[in-house]
Amino acid sequence: MAAIYPPSPVPAAVVRTRSARKSIKWIPILLVGIALFYLALFLFVPLAAVFFEAFKKGAGFYWDAIREPDAWSAVKLTLLAAAIAVPLNLIFGVAAAWAIAKFDFRFKSVLITLIDLPFSVSPVISGLIYVLIFGLQGWVGPWLHEHDIKIIFAVPGIVLATIFVTFPFVARELIPLMQAQGREEEEAAAVLGASGWQTLWYVTLPNVKWGLLYGVILCNARAMGEFGAVSVVSGHIRGATNTLPLHVEILYNEYAFAAAFACASLLAFLALITLAIKSVVEARQHKEHRK
Amino acid sequence: MTIQVQNVTKRFGTFEALNGVNLDIQPGELVALLGPSGSGKTTLLRVIAGLEQPDSGRILFNGEDTTDTRVQEREVGFVFQHYALFRHMSIFENVAFGLRVRPRATRPPEAEIKRRVMELLKLVQLDWLADRYPHQLSGGQRQRIALARALAIEPKVLLLDEPFGALDAKVRKELRRWLRRLHDEINLTSVFVTHDQEEALEVADRVVVVNHGRIEQVGTPEEIYDHPATPFVYQFIGNVNLFEGRVHNGVAHISSGEIHAPEHLDVADAPATAYVRPHEIDIANGPDPDTVAATLNHTTKLGAMVRLELARRDNGALVEVELPRERFDHLNMATGNVVYFRPRRARVFLAADRGTQVA
Repeated sequence: MAAIYPPSPVPAAVVRTRSARKSIKWIPILLVGIALFYLALFLFVPLAAVFFEAFKKGAGFYWDAIREPDAWSAVKLTLLAAAIAVPLNLIFGVAAAWAIAKFDFRFKSVLITLIDLPFSVSPVISGLIYVLIFGLQGWVGPWLHEHDIKIIFAVPGIVLATIFVTFPFVARELIPLMQAQGREEEEAAAVLGASGWQTLWYVTLPNVKWGLLYGVILCNARAMGEFGAVSVVSGHIRGATNTLPLHVEILYNEYAFAAAFACASLLAFLALITLAIKSVVEARQHKEHRK
Repeated sequence: MTIQVQNVTKRFGTFEALNGVNLDIQPGELVALLGPSGSGKTTLLRVIAGLEQPDSGRILFNGEDTTDTRVQEREVGFVFQHYALFRHMSIFENVAFGLRVRPRATRPPEAEIKRRVMELLKLVQLDWLADRYPHQLSGGQRQRIALARALAIEPKVLLLDEPFGALDAKVRKELRRWLRRLHDEINLTSVFVTHDQEEALEVADRVVVVNHGRIEQVGTPEEIYDHPATPFVYQFIGNVNLFEGRVHNGVAHISSGEIHAPEHLDVADAPATAYVRPHEIDIANGPDPDTVAATLNHTTKLGAMVRLELARRDNGALVEVELPRERFDHLNMATGNVVYFRPRRARVFLAADRGTQVA
């Protein structure tokens, strides 16, 4: 290129390279700076604020706020909802992903869309759907009332709403992974005489174990942190139908700020633990993939 | 064990993968299914294995209808193109899998499993890799492990899908000779799929040429190479020159040249194509009634042979000729010269017959 131009003390190409190199130096600094500032503003500061506010009145007050019976019952209900929702969605997620990735059938795309439904519907609407079905004015509400079965404003409603909003997590994590792995290993197992269960247990699941664990972690985090859907079906009965996120809201509305932040810090702890496990799992998954 | 494929048809949507295929495989044979990609050869193998259900037709093992037998109960050994080893299991466990998943009643005891697996690993000469994992092995090693795993269940037939397709040229040649020796040793009825004619001709007892979901020709490698039954086989196996012309009462006329075509004595006049292998063409010393004039474009010396590229003077079509080195030196030709060539042997197919069985 340079040879085409008349000779000049500094060839044009050299000048361009130098200015390009100069711009390369400050662009990454700017981008990293923006990213860090954004993270600090929207993640680190609020997280620090939660713990700062929680301990504002001292560690003693913090412990009292957590050990208070209503708070304790909220913790137990949150754990119960997660303990039911996560295993159920684990089974459903594995079944759905196995069917979608390893078999061909009609209406497969409909099933995939349905799995995504809880992601695309507002959680409040999801909660409302249960009220419309099981509530006193709902479809099966009167029948339930006659037989003295309580779903809405009771624990079963909370569990149902939690299951609904968390059911895509495991399936969504497994489907692309299983699809990428193809069907050859399953076919090899079948030719060697393995039954469907043996193939699932000895071939398919070991191949996706880290993805599965990752999906379960995300599912669990959402199950414990869910607010909108659970809020609609809960009825906010203290010590009975309050989950931890709902309890935080009640305390806050009652101007019990320190207690509200103390309970919120429990959820924040949970998030931090989830993050830690998640990064370990991701690292393992990455290692496995490179093999 | 004999394998009979009877009138098998298989469609994928609107794509016809197999179209009324009939094939008999004798006990102890090593058969190659040879064809271009998309010809249906892999589908045929998968239908025999039970991995695909045919839309119509039957598969018989030893005269017994196995069309509706589930793949798990068919007792076939299948080697996949990309090995499909279980990536989270050790090599030992991979080979042992077929024995471990058996119902308790027929499952051999642990000591027996260990003995059988190590025996198979010795057979494929990889017993020193038992504790490794698939990702630690080379492609050729993985393929041999895949074979050992397939043999572990003592299959009635061995089916291999492009067994050497993913390997580099050198390993490929070694492995296919090894497969041939192994087959002679264990004498198991085997079918393998390949798109590589050299591989099929070198390894197989019989070659089945497949195209567009149909079988074009079945025969020994010699039969397939020396007496191709259809224009497709002629073009697919080895190099060939095509001469368009017309047939008059047993003589094919291609431009000024003439080729004897006694098989078409009863044809008064019809368009036809003559198929001539490069080594079946000779260079004449001068123009003759049965020669064609051409310009010598290019010569390539390949050891004892010389390959000439000619351009016909009448229509510019390229013709490939292979001459023995001595003959070439004797002719004393240079690039750009006008030469006269004469097909010594040819196979003439009528245009109307193209794509159908003529033999």
